[in-house]
Amino acid sequence: MVAQAFFVGVFGLAAIGFGVAVFRTASMVRSALALLFSQAAVGCMFLAMQAEFLGVLQIMMMATEMSIMAIFMVMFMMDPGGLGGMDMSHQKRFSIGAGAIAATTAISVALFSDWGPIFAEAPDAAMQTRELGFEMLDRSMLIFETAAITILTAMIAATAVAIPVRQPGVDTGKLDKENGDKEQEASK
Amino acid sequence: MTVAIVLLTLLVGAWLLAVIEAWLTTGRLRPVAPLLAGLSHLGRESILARKPDRLFFETAPVLLLVVAVLGAAVLPLTPDLVIADLATGALFLNAVLAYVLVSLIMAGWGPNGAYAMIGGWRFLGQLIAYSMLIVMPITATAMRAESLLNSVIVESQAGLWNIVYQPLGFVLFFIAAMALAFRSPFDLPTAPGELAGGVDAEYTGVRLTVLRLARLVMLITLSAATTVFFLGGWQGPLLPPWAWSLIKTLAVAVSMLLVGYYLPRIREADLLGWCWKFGIPLALLNILIVGLLILVVP
Repeated sequence: MVAQAFFVGVFGLAAIGFGVAVFRTASMVRSALALLFSQAAVGCMFLAMQAEFLGVLQIMMMATEMSIMAIFMVMFMMDPGGLGGMDMSHQKRFSIGAGAIAATTAISVALFSDWGPIFAEAPDAAMQTRELGFEMLDRSMLIFETAAITILTAMIAATAVAIPVRQPGVDTGKLDKENGDKEQEASK
Repeated sequence: MTVAIVLLTLLVGAWLLAVIEAWLTTGRLRPVAPLLAGLSHLGRESILARKPDRLFFETAPVLLLVVAVLGAAVLPLTPDLVIADLATGALFLNAVLAYVLVSLIMAGWGPNGAYAMIGGWRFLGQLIAYSMLIVMPITATAMRAESLLNSVIVESQAGLWNIVYQPLGFVLFFIAAMALAFRSPFDLPTAPGELAGGVDAEYTGVRLTVLRLARLVMLITLSAATTVFFLGGWQGPLLPPWAWSLIKTLAVAVSMLLVGYYLPRIREADLLGWCWKFGIPLALLNILIVGLLILVVP
């Protein structure tokens, strides 16, 4: 129990440390990967609390998600390497206030909530996986399906928006023969 | 003790595969060559590029090696010879293999070089192509075993190996595993002859040795995973269980090298197109077929 509490604490501090690192660096890739390791540390907290499936899942999902975020940050920021010493923070006073209020709320919820009876023994890992499976295909199915369909819709919509409209006379950015000829004419 | 045996197996396996790979490409069998090459790398200058992201540059090769070894840690060589037979073993393997991408992005971004960076981001595109083809076939094997324990997945193949029970899943997993290990024809992040080595380009000396070793260990881990999920793991007649595990793993690794030797490098766009237009529908079909078989055949 002591060892468990110790490791939960260590990984918790690591999560906070990496979380701070996200804003302390000017490099977009460092920032994204610091967020990844912060989330992976949260996954390790799950593992320390004997929630094996949730922990492993968290560690797995974050790797790809944060990497994909990294490439988007590199694409959209003007100084992705941070070699120009760009400052990412703004509205400092407001942010500090909002952060302090949010942290106080979270801590008071953790301290003053009625968490119910505390179980000394967690069910074994295989049983947890089984119970999670039943939970997801039973009570929580509607929630997960709704979220899944929403995300799928957003993905299809985003792809549809990104495809250029094919209309005669509209330049789609594609260098076909006809457009190429026109450009040559224009340059003459 | 188990840890020492597994690590030694991985090291010997890496040496053996390096010998075989050189034999395939040069036609000469030189058993000492990989050791000499490794030693000579240790003596060479470790060049550091200008304005690198030092943290990523140094971490990437080590992370890749750690990921490959951690993946091997959950794969049983015999019923007793496994470092950790986790209750979420099959999922854990997916989780650690996701960090191959993180390592390659670090290796690509770290040295501050154009070729390396293109190689690193290319692997992100490659992941979008192969990752579902790693997860879905493993899901189908776990469905048959009704467990995520890798040892139970092996035991579930006692009557019939998964390569016969779900051949579609095997083919997809084999291809995706090669893409994950960035082996030819999927060696887009390194792409010798096109990207001048890609993520390898700026690495020299000790760091390059670690990177190459990690890549070989990764090939062994993925071959062992193929053995566990589809080839019945340690099961087989006459020989002891560990021998079967080693023979099958080596056979898978060599077949991956052979396939890579005879195929030309695939284009990034083609890989993505084929994986999403054919691979993923086939993987879903595989899950459907396995589900029906489980329900219909007692």
